[in-house]
Amino acid sequence: MDENVLVIGGGVAGIQASLDLANRGINVDLVEKAPYIGGVMAQLDKTFPTMNCCICILEPKMIECYRHPKITVHTLSEVTEVEGSKGNFKVQIIERPRFVDISSCTRCGACIEKCPVTVPDEFQAGFESRKAIYIPFPQAVPYAPSIDKGSCLHFGGGGCIVCEEACPTAAIKYEQDPRTVSLNVSSIIVATGFEQYDPKEMGEYGYKRYDNVITPLEFERLVSPYGPTGGELTRPSDGKIAKRIAFVQCVGSRSHREGVGVPYCSGICCMYAAKEAVTIKEKYPDSEVTIFYIDIKAFSRDFQNLINKARDEMGVEYIRGKPGEIRENPLTKDLYIWYEDTDTGEIGRKEVDLAILSAALLPRNENTRLAQVLGVDLDEFGFFKVEDPFLSSLETTRDGIYVCGCCHGPRDISNSVVEASAAAMKATTGIRLTAEGSGG
Amino acid sequence: MTGYEPRLIGFLCNCCGYAVADLAGISRIQYPPNIRFLRLMCCRRLDPSLVLGILSEGIDGVMITTCSLGGCNFIKNHEQVEKKFLFMKRLLEKAGFESERVTLEYLFASEGRKFADQVDSFIERVRGLGPSPLSGDSPDQDLLLNIRAAKAVAENYRMRALVGKEEKLVKEGNVYGEPVTQEELDTVMDDAVENEYVHQKIRLTLLEEPASVKKLSEKLGIDSKKVLEHIVAMRQLGWVDVKEILGSSPIYTALEVPE
Amino acid sequence: MSAESSSPRVGVFVCRCGVDIGDVIDVPALVEYAKKVQGVAYATEDSFACSTSGLEKIEDAIKRHNLERLVVAACTPRTHEAIFQSACERSGLNKYLVEMANIREQCSWVHRDDSQAATEKAKDLVRMAVAKARLLQPWKEPEIKVNPNILVVGGGVSGLSSALSLADLGFKIYLVEKEAELGGMLKSLHKLSPTMRDSSESLESMLRLVEQNPNIEIHTSSRVKSVEGAISNFEVEIESDGKVVERFNVGRIIVAIGAEILKPHGLYGYGHDKRIITQLDLEEKLKNNDLKGVGTVVMIQCAGSRNDERPYCSRICCNTALKNAQILRELSPDIDVYIIYKDLITYGVESSALELNTKRRGVKLIRYRDESPPEVAIEDGSVVVKVFSPTINEEMTFRADLVVLSTPLVPRGEASELAKMLKLPQDPFGFFKEAHQLSPLDFATEGVYVCGTARAPKDAVESISEGLGVGSKAAEYKFSRIRGRGAAFAEINEKKCSGCGICIELCPYNAIRKDEIGISRTDSALCGGCGVCAASCPERAITIHHFTDDQLEAQLLAAIDRRPRK
Repeated sequence: MDENVLVIGGGVAGIQASLDLANRGINVDLVEKAPYIGGVMAQLDKTFPTMNCCICILEPKMIECYRHPKITVHTLSEVTEVEGSKGNFKVQIIERPRFVDISSCTRCGACIEKCPVTVPDEFQAGFESRKAIYIPFPQAVPYAPSIDKGSCLHFGGGGCIVCEEACPTAAIKYEQDPRTVSLNVSSIIVATGFEQYDPKEMGEYGYKRYDNVITPLEFERLVSPYGPTGGELTRPSDGKIAKRIAFVQCVGSRSHREGVGVPYCSGICCMYAAKEAVTIKEKYPDSEVTIFYIDIKAFSRDFQNLINKARDEMGVEYIRGKPGEIRENPLTKDLYIWYEDTDTGEIGRKEVDLAILSAALLPRNENTRLAQVLGVDLDEFGFFKVEDPFLSSLETTRDGIYVCGCCHGPRDISNSVVEASAAAMKATTGIRLTAEGSGG
Repeated sequence: MTGYEPRLIGFLCNCCGYAVADLAGISRIQYPPNIRFLRLMCCRRLDPSLVLGILSEGIDGVMITTCSLGGCNFIKNHEQVEKKFLFMKRLLEKAGFESERVTLEYLFASEGRKFADQVDSFIERVRGLGPSPLSGDSPDQDLLLNIRAAKAVAENYRMRALVGKEEKLVKEGNVYGEPVTQEELDTVMDDAVENEYVHQKIRLTLLEEPASVKKLSEKLGIDSKKVLEHIVAMRQLGWVDVKEILGSSPIYTALEVPE
Repeated sequence: MSAESSSPRVGVFVCRCGVDIGDVIDVPALVEYAKKVQGVAYATEDSFACSTSGLEKIEDAIKRHNLERLVVAACTPRTHEAIFQSACERSGLNKYLVEMANIREQCSWVHRDDSQAATEKAKDLVRMAVAKARLLQPWKEPEIKVNPNILVVGGGVSGLSSALSLADLGFKIYLVEKEAELGGMLKSLHKLSPTMRDSSESLESMLRLVEQNPNIEIHTSSRVKSVEGAISNFEVEIESDGKVVERFNVGRIIVAIGAEILKPHGLYGYGHDKRIITQLDLEEKLKNNDLKGVGTVVMIQCAGSRNDERPYCSRICCNTALKNAQILRELSPDIDVYIIYKDLITYGVESSALELNTKRRGVKLIRYRDESPPEVAIEDGSVVVKVFSPTINEEMTFRADLVVLSTPLVPRGEASELAKMLKLPQDPFGFFKEAHQLSPLDFATEGVYVCGTARAPKDAVESISEGLGVGSKAAEYKFSRIRGRGAAFAEINEKKCSGCGICIELCPYNAIRKDEIGISRTDSALCGGCGVCAASCPERAITIHHFTDDQLEAQLLAAIDRRPRK
């Protein structure tokens, strides 16, 4: 059987789907926009509820995926055209140039050392800078640098060839051009994940105005051993270790305000806040951690155990009440959180060093473009639409194109991985649970 | 102790220890060059007798780096690694060998800096202890006998069976279904180790040179009544026998126990 | 296997890695040193051993100098072992006869300021690698025959999905169901959220496909009696009416036995009055339109869950309550519905929409605190529900025509039996517990998979996902253990084994079994190569290939090769 499947998105779901398919002898083309695979999970510190180290459990899968003889990984790539139908899609992908020849690169890092340009490092959530030629994190697969054309002097007309000169194996290739690759595949799996809500528009919480109000992804980088602080939870304003920390839940989720946030519940914020709270308490047992919540949604296996651990064992304070606003002391940059405790009816003001806004999970902006290219519908929020999750599990509105993971709605890592396997199955079988009962 | 550089061995499990050592390298985190690493698929492979063996050859210290809970890509985690390690420490203490010369560290594969710090601290710790009394061209003979006896205990059937069953005994109880507490088990272990250890010391001494109970008692500093008890037990096991009678004292010799 | 019996010719290749190694380590000195190490027949250096030209040099040297083992002193084997293994294969050498010495990530990169010490360390590492390489033995991965038969235990929606998807791939499925009819929980349900489609109709579609599929053999009113063997070769006995009726030989087993709704006798008066029912009972009433005289319905959430006895959340109860509440309001605006809840567990897009719609239909949601749960009593023949609402800071009283308890899913009784038969771990409540978070459908026992509510509470859509997911796993033709462990695997010397069984207890992969005479035997297909058996065996009867005692001892002794101290 020489079947070919296209998987769009190299996060944990896309990687799992690719591995499942490849281990059944099916050829996979995995298309990933970034210069590396791993997605959001590579940026996270721990998983919930097991408190596993994310990169430790993800890295073997990334390596297996990249090395698998049946999987072709296209990094810096995007799908530009899809024609045909199930069983016979003709796909065009554009591979953007890395400007580095991976097979010659020995990862010596000389190019990065010598590069004169520094820009904010997106992987480190802006807390650190990187060079124009960079490897985003030490476990990146493929572990080879890529040049960010937008910030590179050479491509800006500056004539800089410092990295080329530094490279001992002549692996720098400025002349690399974007490449169009044509593929013939029988089905397509979309696994493009999610993006985090930007809480800037909720002005009452002061994100981007107050230094010490951060998002969960920023928090994850701060506590990560390969993050900007080597794992120390230091405040952005003064670098002191944060001892009093607050989490504000449902920031952007469950919002019925016109034009602000989304009305749905993002599902995993209760758990990631608990996980992050436990991480803090494990590192700094004398810290004070408070979680301001509306409901505690601990709906999966062992989720409640983690909540109990946070609250009962480690002394994380849970206050039921969504804060009205966060204010800042302009001198110390400490924060004041105004809230109503709906259990006691009392109004309170909590003083903290650091506040984390548990931001909603949104569909990616690029979904609009990709949906158009794929010829599939999005739902009202911009997630890929699954018409009938029962009869046509994980099927988009176009035959032969499937989804898994957060691209069709927020879900956690375990569910994403299950769906990835399920999508791999759907993509290669003809089963259809239609009311008409045909075997398809 | 100027001029002395500790010589150390490290065991790294493939998915965590070896990965984090590589990460320290990728991140160019520097640490002193005193340690040589062996790669294992999993630290559960580590047999205490192997570590005792290399210590008896004069290595100054041994470091074992295994997965932190939640980082292991195999299924169960370090309970077995810990059990073997604690058993080994027990034997080292019995032998009078500084048990600080061995260490067990738990790490995630992402903690490169922490790994380098741990290596650094361990090197400093061993540096402070000075060279191993078993290193160099004239190792401490008494200690060498002790360590060899300890190694023989680690290879002994009964001891290994006890260590192997430890987890089950505490979790599920004995064959009668009665639960065994860790304290009870520790007591049993201590007694068994003491018994086996003396057995082995006597045996190794006799292997070198047959001797009487009196001589053994003098040489090993053990009460002669106790020595006799051990000899009787070892005779029953077929480990020792009477070589000859000198005057009124039997001279015992160790029999080569078939492998 | 002793070193003296053979002295294979070892070739040592030292890679400069451009300047990465070469700038710190004295490579020429290292090469000269390597030539003098016992067993080394040839040693050389290269700028980039992993480059095309570098590999060609290696392959050439192997052939020209009749090298039988390869040592590459370069970067980490975690990234490059496979490359040099391929080079071995291309030159006719077994791929497992190569050992790497990590003189980059674990030497030149971390001892940049001490060239001399780094070079001495590199010499030690090369010596260690050579000592091990001399004792390496060739190995070939076993060919695993794919058994085209698969057993699916449980004919609910999860089992049906896995059966259909695998049958579609050409597998022969034996579908075993203990009831007289297939369908599981969905037979008893009224409508499915979020689409509100009829449960029976939805089930019908699946059942027709299953019945029509020539690859699926259905056995209803049957249970699994016994399972012997291992992946690729399970011998299964099926019984019906107490006697064995069938025997199958299957390659994989999918457990999809589902779960049942807790019937909490005594809780909130359940069992004392027929007006106090479970959500499942309500589904039946809705199916049969049996709601005459019902004016007020009070639903109580977390009835028997999220308490000390069952601290888990059953995931689907809030969605079920909202769905049924919505249906009741649609039946008649005269039916008042109150949902008394602790935390409203709706999650994700569809569930949130359900919550909104249900509220819009006029269903009232009342929160209660953990410390003050609602009270249900019979007063003057009516069912009265009292609950303290922290929102209005008052106690509320309802006269209910129907009190519906949202009770959790609990594992079926037969779960424990199956768990023992298949060596599947269970959590404290009896749900099957997977091996690892990133492999939620895989279990320690290779070839056995669990999907659906038997694993943990979930709804029909999620159960279908899992059914398909296990299908994907069951259809893999290469075993995950072998992929992950390289050449390491355990072998038991039957002459030394005394049958104590400690290895069996400690093996995390259930890869060891006792044979007919009580000797332990490993299954090399299941073995994960971890080595716990070898380290624990009282008789020291177990060899871990590629990490044997001899090889490790040789490495250790090579490490302390006597050198002058400072």
